[in-house]
Formats: sequence, structure tokens, C-alpha cells
Amino acid sequence: MLCRGVEKRFHHYEHRTTSLRELFIRVARRRPITVRRAVFTLRDFDLRVERGEGVALIGDNGCGKSTALRLIAGVYRPTAGLVETNGRLAAVIELGVGFHPELTGVENVGLYGAVMGLSRREVAARREEVEDFAELGDFMREPVKFYSSGMQARLAFAVAVVCASPEILLLDEVLAVGDAGFQHKCRERLRLLHEQGVTIITVSHDLDSLGDICRRAVWLEHGAMRMDGDLATVVDAYRAASA
Amino acid sequence: MSSAGATVRASSARGYRLPDLWRYRGMMWSLVVRDLKVKYQRSLFGFLWTLLNPLLTVGLLVVVFQHIVRIPVPDYWAFLISGYFVWNFLTQSLSSGAYIIASHGALRRSVAFPSEVLVISAVVSRLVEFMLEMSLALLAITVFHHHGAPASLLLLPVLVVIQLVMTVGLLMPIAAASVFYTDVQHALPIALLSLFYISPVFYPATMVPEAVRQLYFVNPVAGLMTLFHTVLYEGRVPSFPLLAGTAAAACALFVVGYVIFKRYSPTFAELV
Repeated sequence: MLCRGVEKRFHHYEHRTTSLRELFIRVARRRPITVRRAVFTLRDFDLRVERGEGVALIGDNGCGKSTALRLIAGVYRPTAGLVETNGRLAAVIELGVGFHPELTGVENVGLYGAVMGLSRREVAARREEVEDFAELGDFMREPVKFYSSGMQARLAFAVAVVCASPEILLLDEVLAVGDAGFQHKCRERLRLLHEQGVTIITVSHDLDSLGDICRRAVWLEHGAMRMDGDLATVVDAYRAASA
Repeated sequence: MSSAGATVRASSARGYRLPDLWRYRGMMWSLVVRDLKVKYQRSLFGFLWTLLNPLLTVGLLVVVFQHIVRIPVPDYWAFLISGYFVWNFLTQSLSSGAYIIASHGALRRSVAFPSEVLVISAVVSRLVEFMLEMSLALLAITVFHHHGAPASLLLLPVLVVIQLVMTVGLLMPIAAASVFYTDVQHALPIALLSLFYISPVFYPATMVPEAVRQLYFVNPVAGLMTLFHTVLYEGRVPSFPLLAGTAAAACALFVVGYVIFKRYSPTFAELV
């Protein structure tokens, strides 16, 4: 996984024309259609992660961690720079992995498998393992809209980790909503994946739980990389700065 | 462990190209099945609605335009169903596909895939319903109208391809615009209603005064509907200019629509 000179610019719109009526009026009066000011979310982001490495992204809210993950996942297109990934990638960035609320858990597993490029047979072969891991019982046959957030997190993790069997895994604080038992189970699973050589990049505020998976941490501050290095060193520096 | 052949991805200014879409056919099919499932589950008549709905509309139109307005066309029912389902496919595709990006916001923000897949899947879902309706219409027309199958029916697959290209071409800019502008939900219904009256859906294009006929056919949907009327209802091979002109218009709409869609699709994930 390689990010070279990546920059992602979001615009803050002071005024944004969102209706045609306004568009006509603005064009007629020769006023600008949008008034925007660039807000730099992420700049000069260089990160090279080797296969099998575990990296934690840390930093305050709004520092660009999730944006970085979405750029690596290929969901956002960088404004400048290049992102390269090599290997099957799965990302759990928000609650659920794009579940459809009207479909049951089982159907969502099938849909996600198809989105990840698995054949129907491959999805069917892994379904049981996904169900075992998520431990949702009969709820697997209920529409996802009836799930609690913890249940959605369970299914999302199970689907991304077990069904997609990624070579690169991106996690954004998904474990926070699960109960203690599930969190423990996920950590065990992540440790196993780490041993198998899966690249793991995670965002977390739970600094104590990262130790066994991530040796390395990257501290982001206001969209810029503040520190990159050994987990303990970076976390200590971050804590010292936050205190 | 990895089954998806090419998993190396470089993401920069360049996005997906048209041929890349083939890799996403599994996803497309999954979306289609899901769409149909969600649409018809927990309804009493289920999939029957896909037939019941247009059949009831056709019945209503036959009553109004054969017995009240009296459009002078023999076997009016046959004329109507030779084009009505095409029209129904077009409006259903446009109105259900317009918000397809926003309604898949969570998926769009979580997984990398080309947004075109969503648009195409919306059209293919309607195509499945169209095929069902059309096979019934075809059966009725051959048995009760032509008492046999005219050779012109061989052109039907060509017409369906033109219909598909035109629909996807029209839908792409609408789907992209709906992400940015809320106007779409107000403008689309009235646009479709206007299109219904200025296209030969319930009347033949031959009823349009000669003086404005040329202007009338600027609307590519008029050409498409007339093609279906000629091939299905009249059982004749359409004139080459009409066929080639409509095909060219469909391709032009597709190219323009695709360029607009590609221009705006990279920002969808940030906006939905």
C-alpha cells in the first residue's frame, strides 16, 4: 500500500447554488454560481505500508483519519497525488459496510460478496462461517433495519473479515460499538489475520487495545502527518500533546 | 485466497473506464435481484404487480382512446401495447433510477466501485419487467392481430438495444444531477408527463400534422416509439432513415450522458 504526496481538498461552500431557479438568477446577474473556499483536509500524505504490517492512525476528531482511509479504499479520489494498493481490500469505515436496510442479513452478505467480486459459490461456501462469527442467530434472516448498531457492527466485521478474506483490511473504530465479548473475539481474529500476513490499517481512539496488532502508528494533526513511528513512542507523544 | 484476478489498484485522477464494468457484472446482477426482491416482497400479489399495473393502465387507455376520444386506428389495443411497454420501461427506468446514487449512499461511501454500475443495474431491473410484459404483448399481437408472425419481428432485438442505449444515455445525466440539485424531483415528473404527450404513445405519429412532423421527430423517443409501432403493430420493416436516425440519436445521447456522468461521478461519495 503506497500513498505518495496525496492531497485531498474539500471545499467549504459559503454559497452553493442548489436549484435551477437560483442558477438562472445568478447567471443573469453575473454573480458566481458557487462561492467556495478550499479547506485542506489532508495534505502531503506520504505513507508506505508493507504487506503484513499493522498501522494505527491516531489523532483528534476531524484530523483526516477517516478521509485517509477512504482515499486508501478508493472511495474518494485524491485531489493530487497517487494511491496504490496491491491485494484484495476490505474496509469497514462507517456503521455497516453499505448494508441495504430492507434486506436480511443473509441477503446483505450475498450482496456484499458480489460487490467484492466473489462468485455466488464462494459466498455460499463462506456463509456459514460468517454466520458463526457474527453470532446473530435468527436475526440473520431479519431485515438489517431491525438491527441495533452493535448487531450491524458484528455483521459488518464478519462480512468484511470472513466473507471478503481481504489482504488489506481498513477498520475505522468499528469495534467500539460491539460488546466486550465480541470485541475480544474480533481482536483475536485480527491477531490471527496479522499472523497470516494481512495488512491492517486501523483508526482507533482505544490506544491500549492496539498493541498486539499494530507496531507502528501515524499521528495526524489538522490534515498533516505529525509523527510516524513506533506505536508506543507516537502514542506517548500524542498523549503528552493532548494532556 | 484471492479470486478476483486483478486486485492491484492505482487511484489518481483517472477513474474507471467503460470496459472495466465487465468485472462488475456479478455485482450488477446482485443489485438487480435485490431491487426486484425489495420491490415485490411483502406485497400480496408480489411479482404479479409488474404485469397487473401496466395491464390496468393499458385497459384504461383503450377505453378512453378507443371509445371516448376515438383515435382512428384499427385494432387499437394492438397498436397501444406495441409501444406502451417501451414507454413504461423508459419512464420507470428514469423515475426509479434518478435517485439511485443517493439511495446507495452507504455502499457508495464504503466500497470502491464504478458508479455506472448502479445506473445500469437500475435499467436492467426494469428490463427484466419489460421482457415479461413484452413477451405477453408479443403473444397477443401475433395471435390476435397478425394471426401469424411477420418477419419484421426479427428486428425486435435491434430495437431493444436502441431502447436500452437511449434509456441509459438519458438516465446518466439525470442521476448525476439529482446528487447536486434537488430540482430533479420536481422537474422529472412534469418532464416525463410532457414527454408522454409529445411522443406517440397513445396516438400514431401519422396523426401529427405534416407541417410539424419534422420538428416532432427531433424528440428521439418519437422515433423509438414509431419503430416499435412499425415493427410490431404494422408488421413492416421500418424505413432505413428512421432506424439509423434513431440509433444515431440513441448513441449521441449515450455519449453526452456518459461524459456528463464521468465528469461528476468522482465526487458522489463525498456528497451522498
